[in-house]
Amino acid sequence: MTQKLLQWMGVAFVLLLVGGAAFALTVVKDRVRVVVAADAAEAGPDPVALVRDDVGVLARDVAELRTALGTNFERLGAALEERAEARHADVQALARELAAARQQLAAQAAAAQRSEQQLAQLGARLAAAESAAVQSVAVPAESVPAESVPAASAPVVPAPIEPAPAEPVAVAPPPAKAKGFLSFSLPQGGFAFDREQSWQIVPELSRVGFDAKSTLHDFSGVTSKVSGRFTADFDDPAGGWRGEVACEAATLATGVDGRDTNLREHLDTTNHPQIRFTIARFVPAADGIDRDEQTVAGEVQGTMTIRGKSRELRLPVRIEIDPSRRAVVTGQVRLKLSDYEVPVPSQLGVINMQDEVVVWVALRARLVAGDGK
Amino acid sequence: MKRRLRACVLVATALGCSGCIASNVVATGDRMVQQPLEQLPFAPAPGLQLDGLYESVAITGDAAVSLRRIWYLFRADGSYTAAALVEGERGASFQTLDGSWASTAAGLSLDGAEPVPLEQAEQHLRLSAPTGVVVLRRSAAQ
Repeated sequence: MTQKLLQWMGVAFVLLLVGGAAFALTVVKDRVRVVVAADAAEAGPDPVALVRDDVGVLARDVAELRTALGTNFERLGAALEERAEARHADVQALARELAAARQQLAAQAAAAQRSEQQLAQLGARLAAAESAAVQSVAVPAESVPAESVPAASAPVVPAPIEPAPAEPVAVAPPPAKAKGFLSFSLPQGGFAFDREQSWQIVPELSRVGFDAKSTLHDFSGVTSKVSGRFTADFDDPAGGWRGEVACEAATLATGVDGRDTNLREHLDTTNHPQIRFTIARFVPAADGIDRDEQTVAGEVQGTMTIRGKSRELRLPVRIEIDPSRRAVVTGQVRLKLSDYEVPVPSQLGVINMQDEVVVWVALRARLVAGDGK
Repeated sequence: MKRRLRACVLVATALGCSGCIASNVVATGDRMVQQPLEQLPFAPAPGLQLDGLYESVAITGDAAVSLRRIWYLFRADGSYTAAALVEGERGASFQTLDGSWASTAAGLSLDGAEPVPLEQAEQHLRLSAPTGVVVLRRSAAQ
């Protein structure tokens, strides 16, 4: 049933379309006119002529560009030429100055050479004169006054005499100035562990003293009035050291005025104002020389003079170099006052001081200027 | 009996006195003259205004071999004058300088030279040059 209904509906739809088309044709058949137009008109410019015109314009532009470039290149060339001429003149001027400086330098070098020769001659004369002087003063050692012994009443110690050079030697030029420390110019040279150098005690930074025992209590006597100088090569195991350290005996202070007065009387400081230690040699301890740490430990051997009486003494010391390149010397030794004929202080026979005391040193020594080269 | 008693009293008195009087032996560690400057707490001081008079209180390093004292007078206008007591073969002599100073982040520059590290503690300066270190204390003209 449904199938038949759909077939009739399809037939009805087709008939409706055919009928509509026939009606439309009837309505519009008098209003529609079909015209077949001809091809596009021949009017407009000739493309070949157009291309020819374009080529002509481009040719004119190229000609103008060529002209402009030619002009600019000519100007650039002229400018470069001018500059090259100026540079050439400058180079010639510099060459003339350089030649003049070279001549001046050569003249100065010749003058320096002449000065060096004159210095060498003067050095030779000086060496000869020193040699003659040493020979003329060659007297028994006992009569040679010690160079750095200020005490007139003390026994005379032979001063080391530096041997004069046997042959004339060229005099070294004066020490060069090293520009360097905060705009100041300082002499060259400095501390060397492995070279013989001279050192001077710095009293402001040094002390010597003694520790004593008595019936009532123990006490120390201390002074900073210490002076002296020594020469040493810290790296030399042979220990060829020499020098002297002295202190003002009257300035030893124990902290008690009455005891200081007694001490001065017993040390007879009026007649023997100084206590001195003359260095004769140094004997390093086993492994006592430490090059890396720059320390030295061992025994300084020499002569101690107290109250005018001299005795051989071995003073164990340790030496190190502080950041200010000063030698810091510390050491102590026991000694008996009676060995130096110093009366042992005693009060009423009840308060007695022991005969044996510990003598100690705590010194700072500065490199002698001019010895650090 | 009385003699023994007196002896005992004397001994007791002596022992008592010795107990009352303190020992004044200098300790081994105190024998050396101390230099308390090492205790100063220095800290970097970039761009510090230095104007004033300073004198050295410690010099270390190779420069200390020949340099004894230094004085600097830094002025606010960037100029300075200075004097150094330098030990030479003929004894100590003064060197004097005049120039310009500048305190920058890198330290203190004198006369346009490479700046050196500058540190400050209370009333003190520390300048570390390649050949030595100097500690300066602020001072006053007399």
